[in-house]
Amino acid sequence: MSDRRSDPRRILADWGIKDFRVIDKEAISEITLGASILATGGGGDPEIGLLWTYKVIDEGKEILMVDPSDVPDEVQMASSACLGAAIVLTEKPPSGSVINLAIRKLEAYMGRPIEAMIPLECGGVNSPVSYAAAGEFGIPVVDVDGMNRAFPELQMTSWVTHGCHSSPTVSVDDRQNITVIDTGDDDVLAETLARRAAMAYGGISWIATYPLTGVQMKATSILGSQSIAWAVGRAVMRARQEHLDPITELLHSLKEERGVEGYRVFRGKIVDIRRDFGSETNKGFTLGSIVMEGIDDYRDQTATLDFQNEWLNLRVNGEVLCLPPDLIAILDSETGEPIRTDIMKYGYRGTIVLIPAHERMRTPKGIEMFGPRHFGYDIDYVPVEGLNKPRR
Amino acid sequence: MSNTAQLRVGFDVGGTFTDGVLMQGRDVLAKAKSLTTQDVTGGIVEALDRVLEGSAADPKRISMVSLGTTHTTNAIIERRNLNKVGIFRLGAPATTAIPPLTGWPEDLKEAIGGHEVVHIIRGGSEYDGRDIVPLDVKAIEDACEAMKGKVDSVAITGVFSPIIADHEEQAEKVVRSVLGEEIHVTLSHRIATISLLERENSTILNAAVITVMQRAVQSLKAAVAERGIAAPLFIVQNDGSVMSADYAVDYPIFTVASGPAASVRGSVYLSGIEDGVVADIGGTSTDVAYIVKGFPRESSITVNIGGVKTNIRCPDLLSIALGGGTIIKHDGDDVTGLGPESVGYNLVRLGTAFGGPLMTVHDTAVALGKLDTRLDVFKTDFVTAPDKIAALPRARVDNAWNAIRTTIEEAIDKMKTTAEPVPAIFIGGGALVVPKEGLAGVSQAVSPDHFEVGGAVGTTIAEIGAYAEGVVDLDVEDRDEAIERVTRHAIDNAVKAGAIRETAEVIDVEEIPFTYMPGKREKIRIRVKGKVLQ
Repeated sequence: MSDRRSDPRRILADWGIKDFRVIDKEAISEITLGASILATGGGGDPEIGLLWTYKVIDEGKEILMVDPSDVPDEVQMASSACLGAAIVLTEKPPSGSVINLAIRKLEAYMGRPIEAMIPLECGGVNSPVSYAAAGEFGIPVVDVDGMNRAFPELQMTSWVTHGCHSSPTVSVDDRQNITVIDTGDDDVLAETLARRAAMAYGGISWIATYPLTGVQMKATSILGSQSIAWAVGRAVMRARQEHLDPITELLHSLKEERGVEGYRVFRGKIVDIRRDFGSETNKGFTLGSIVMEGIDDYRDQTATLDFQNEWLNLRVNGEVLCLPPDLIAILDSETGEPIRTDIMKYGYRGTIVLIPAHERMRTPKGIEMFGPRHFGYDIDYVPVEGLNKPRR
Repeated sequence: MSNTAQLRVGFDVGGTFTDGVLMQGRDVLAKAKSLTTQDVTGGIVEALDRVLEGSAADPKRISMVSLGTTHTTNAIIERRNLNKVGIFRLGAPATTAIPPLTGWPEDLKEAIGGHEVVHIIRGGSEYDGRDIVPLDVKAIEDACEAMKGKVDSVAITGVFSPIIADHEEQAEKVVRSVLGEEIHVTLSHRIATISLLERENSTILNAAVITVMQRAVQSLKAAVAERGIAAPLFIVQNDGSVMSADYAVDYPIFTVASGPAASVRGSVYLSGIEDGVVADIGGTSTDVAYIVKGFPRESSITVNIGGVKTNIRCPDLLSIALGGGTIIKHDGDDVTGLGPESVGYNLVRLGTAFGGPLMTVHDTAVALGKLDTRLDVFKTDFVTAPDKIAALPRARVDNAWNAIRTTIEEAIDKMKTTAEPVPAIFIGGGALVVPKEGLAGVSQAVSPDHFEVGGAVGTTIAEIGAYAEGVVDLDVEDRDEAIERVTRHAIDNAVKAGAIRETAEVIDVEEIPFTYMPGKREKIRIRVKGKVLQ
């Protein structure tokens, strides 16, 4: 088991798979841009994860992506991520081996080899980190994730809402401190412990989590999540090169890759930002709201967005247009670059795009765990399609 | 102000011209232009001599000499005369996934000594001040032994040093004990803020241009002394304030954006407006800056210097493609676009006002009678073909004027941080050809005199800017106390750069929350300014 995982090609050959995609530098930049857009205002700065992945590729370590339907049912896989404060990551990048340690300890605890990487979420930090980690450990990446967006807490995944669990989770730091979290089916407690461990380490931790089998992965993941991010990122990059409208290209790519309609609902300028440190004590999130004043076709309209790391809901002239878990992205109208909640400023101009959450995020259990009521709104969830008419 | 009677000379060393002014209070007593020389000093000395002649001032009465120069930026861009830099990062076992010099252009890496003298040492701090691991002093000593004779300066970057600097300071002592007291050492916490890779890049670049700055300062000091001037020498830094020349030798990277910053500061000084928008309108583009208490607001994005990403604080400038020579695209009387193409210096050949085939922003202003005087700096009349201007359809001219107005209003609006109307200062050669009356969001529009030497005037404002930052946990520490603590540190930094302590005042308080982290932690960054002269 130890020699096999230095080569993702051999793992795929053992599974009898001949079709896979090689992730090169261009691919990872496109996937990361798309993931940052799908991160709905959260997910952090992509730079560290991208540089790390570039280095892994430069060192000749291969990163391969495989279709979920090709993965054998009995294969054991897991997710790897950075959990903690994004600002700490920009100051304290990891060692190249930190996630290897987390995965090895998870293998030891479970007594089974981890043979594939399942990305946790779409985000500027964790999307490239899962590819770098897969390259460092020598296992393939599966074209799935647990939300196809970013969410603030570890348990907010389609995996949990479909009966899988984050435990056992191994959390490590660069000094090789190790915390094994095994809370059985209590995924909220696992999140609490994992975040406390990150704080105690010094603000961030590196985790191996959600050990799933192939059969579990197929039944509970957001299938094709990586391809969706890739298509979105590629469309926006192409729009930049060919001087096309990035928003139009993005919406088109969603239609092509996912078969869903996204909505361009507002264009405006941030005129007020209200930040509020945790109304619930010690939750670890930046809360607040912003007000945008409409420009161009949206003159005389006012948009209000609440955020808790990610954008939560959107109201235009008091009318609700989007509720969690549906996606809200504010994008620079010229470049398509997402405007994140941690870097937004007064005066930023952008276009608001709404994207339906994946069906596997919209089950009754999902709406209970990360729908409007979970975030404190006294409103029933209405899908974004019910709140908006398609516009061209 | 008690320094109104004192004489100050200032120089703005541009790519082509070196401008010099002699100032008393806000009055420009003399001004001169000379050709910029490769060594910088030659051009300054010529401008200095002409300013002194022009005013017949007694050199002994001059109390301050200052200059703005992009000398160090040019050295980096041209990979010229750079120091060989020994590079230490204090951060292992963390940070090794992305080593120093990642993403640097190969030729620049070569010019500063390559990979051979790069070391990641065990050490650095956590955000809360704990050690990641104790500093590996032995490893630094061994690395320094191997560096002997191979490096001119040393750059040290420790994880979280902007919060707690003790490992960097400890490492400096070790480096000096092996490589000698005279070796130049740059510590990253004195250069830039949180964000390891960008701060490390900034620190290494600083270490690479120390000798370049040192030589310029030495030869200038000698030239100034030769002319009987006993005044101290100051260099403009990126926020448009000055720092003492001796301090600048240790922090040359703080001068990379001094040119535009000095122009903004000069226009603020000449107009007397300390809060508002400055639009520097040239022939092909306009730079818009936002002024807070007399200083350009800082940019929060990374700054690329010579192909390297840095987090050096530079003025937040919005550049738009609108200038006097910008071409008006039209379909009949409808205006379909402004630029981005400009006729630039060919205005006098291609513009309608000069009998040329194209309609420009300049021609629009001429057609509306906005340009009725002649300015010597332009060395030409504004219009030599009045019949061509008269033939422009009035509707098209009005549409063009409205499009220019909208573009300027939008640029000003993008830079504003308040919905209230603010004053706007218009400078640059194109300042006369754009709408200034009744602009949306603007309370008053001003075009000060002497704008053609605004950069040189800007260098003579005898103020020093400095900053400090810290991380606080508001569950543990009182917010006001935390701000006071960081402010004291910022004032100390201003004094080190040459300010008089009693004159220091706070110009900006910035608070950035830590996301995805429990508790009420935030980073506080405070900017202060202080006076150079009593």
